[in-house]
Amino acid sequence: MVADDARARYDTDLRLTRPFIFCLLFDDTAMLDLFDKIEDACKKIRSEFSKTPKVGIILGTGLGGLAEQIEVEASFEYGDIPHFPTSTATSHRGRLVCGQLAGVPVVAMEGRFHQYEGYPLKQITLPVRVFKALGAELLVVSNACGGLNPYFSNGDIMVIEDQINLMGDNPLIGVNDDRLGPRFPDMCEPYDQQWIDRAMELARRESIPIHKGVFVAVTGPNLETRAEYRFLRMIGADVVGMSTVPETIVAVHCGLKVVGLSVITDMCLPDALKPADVNEIIATANAAAPKLETLVRGIVSEAGQVRIA
Amino acid sequence: MRQNRSMDELSNTDRYLDYVDQAAEFLRARSDLVPTVAIILGSGLGGLAEKIQHPIAVPFPDIPGFAASTASGHRGQLIFGELERTRVVAMAGRFHRYEGWSRAEVSFPVHVMARLGATQLVVSNAAGGVNPKLKVGDIVVIRDHLDFMRGEFQPTNLIPRGSSFAEETSEVSPLRHGDVYDSDLSAIAMQASRESNFAAYEGTYLATLGPNYETRAEYRMMRRIGADVAGMSTVPEVLAAASLGMRTLGVSMVSNVANPDSAVVASHDEVLAAGLAAEGKMEAIVRAVLRNICSHSTGLPASDAGQSK
Repeated sequence: MVADDARARYDTDLRLTRPFIFCLLFDDTAMLDLFDKIEDACKKIRSEFSKTPKVGIILGTGLGGLAEQIEVEASFEYGDIPHFPTSTATSHRGRLVCGQLAGVPVVAMEGRFHQYEGYPLKQITLPVRVFKALGAELLVVSNACGGLNPYFSNGDIMVIEDQINLMGDNPLIGVNDDRLGPRFPDMCEPYDQQWIDRAMELARRESIPIHKGVFVAVTGPNLETRAEYRFLRMIGADVVGMSTVPETIVAVHCGLKVVGLSVITDMCLPDALKPADVNEIIATANAAAPKLETLVRGIVSEAGQVRIA
Repeated sequence: MRQNRSMDELSNTDRYLDYVDQAAEFLRARSDLVPTVAIILGSGLGGLAEKIQHPIAVPFPDIPGFAASTASGHRGQLIFGELERTRVVAMAGRFHRYEGWSRAEVSFPVHVMARLGATQLVVSNAAGGVNPKLKVGDIVVIRDHLDFMRGEFQPTNLIPRGSSFAEETSEVSPLRHGDVYDSDLSAIAMQASRESNFAAYEGTYLATLGPNYETRAEYRMMRRIGADVAGMSTVPEVLAAASLGMRTLGVSMVSNVANPDSAVVASHDEVLAAGLAAEGKMEAIVRAVLRNICSHSTGLPASDAGQSK
């Protein structure tokens, strides 16, 4: 009897979302779960960090060193924050750092999650929604990437102008929660033009060679074939990476402004391609890190002085 | 970890066909009309549903195996009736991948409509104009498509040749679809545009997963790879129809134009408004096709049992 009731309730719940025959294979309530998950994660962070962060920062491969510059007021292993996955990628630390950078309250992810690690995009992008819920207005996202534009060099930095999603998935799939953002977000300017200009100017002032271009995201984890590099170049990409695009889509969805910085760690010229060496890539990222740190610090400092939203 | 989207595999099993049978059986009990033509009415084109004579409407959620449509501007009914003296079954509203439904779920209604007797499919959608020649409100008769729903060229997901269902209904090889979009029906549609004096072009439809609108970089990519219009639907249904040997006409209404060189914000309301404005054109095409089918209705089920009272 009790079992029958439970079964009936179960059927009713499923009926609301999808027909019974299809329901067992999917978790399509995931989008509607997000709101509560964000609350849970925020509660944990707020319990130790009471300031309202102005900027959220995501540090990519080999770029975790920037976290050292933050005057840390609280830090959390990802495993201690409800619903955060734990990062497994090489050279990703897996820690959320809260504190001040250049006198501005920030939250920074030291290490990020990738689709190739097996995480669903909704989970990968949860931290972005948490940043927003904590009160952040600007997202600074960084990554290490392969250079397709032949005028780029190893160790150069590119401000992301626009993006192409070739990840084969989207973090907004499912029933849309209108509390979090619109069903069909416009993407005509995913990276804020004003902040792109500011970042470029900052780089020139600091005498850091800087590029501006299009980032294409692929799933990975294998690096691309020469034919794929030619294809990616042909469709208009300047650099290629395995991250950032999902975070940016979610930032646009929830109304965060985004600045994207790519460090070119591996030139991918299809007609002169050498086997990629992960250690070399990480070494290049580490060597370029001071430039990136200068830029991020400068952006955060400016963010502290202007109204963003 | 990533959800195992094994729904698509289900389409290869007899179970899927059982569900198709169940749905068809349910619908036959609601209406004894044997449709010749299946029509899928996309964004903003639902108005044609009102013009179907002797309608019998069945809400999607009532039908076993049907999902419930959630996109705004979509009604969510299967309507049996007559249009231009042709027996039709029309989907007012459809399922989209971005809502979280799998490819197999999205194409499920096509299997059911074919099971009920439909041998032709007319599918409409609102799409973004990628080719610079297109203006808002123009009609594109789809002659081919690029399946970018997973950010990659997809192998077609079809009923295997060996299954009894495929043998019964399939006239074309399900593994290679040379002429998925019927050239005769396309010619009728183009003729209708000349007769009614509105602009229509033959072109290639590119399907994305959505739900975000495209970035400018993505629009530039689409131009380079040969797309004329881009949207978030149609391809799963059309491939299902091809596997079932249905003759298919695809029509896109250009609801907004991609203008990658000057950022313009796209809105869903705009899409709906353009849909209303172009509805007359779509209707003229559908009616012309139905008239033609009616006058050549040899080889269709002789039974008149389907005539509504």
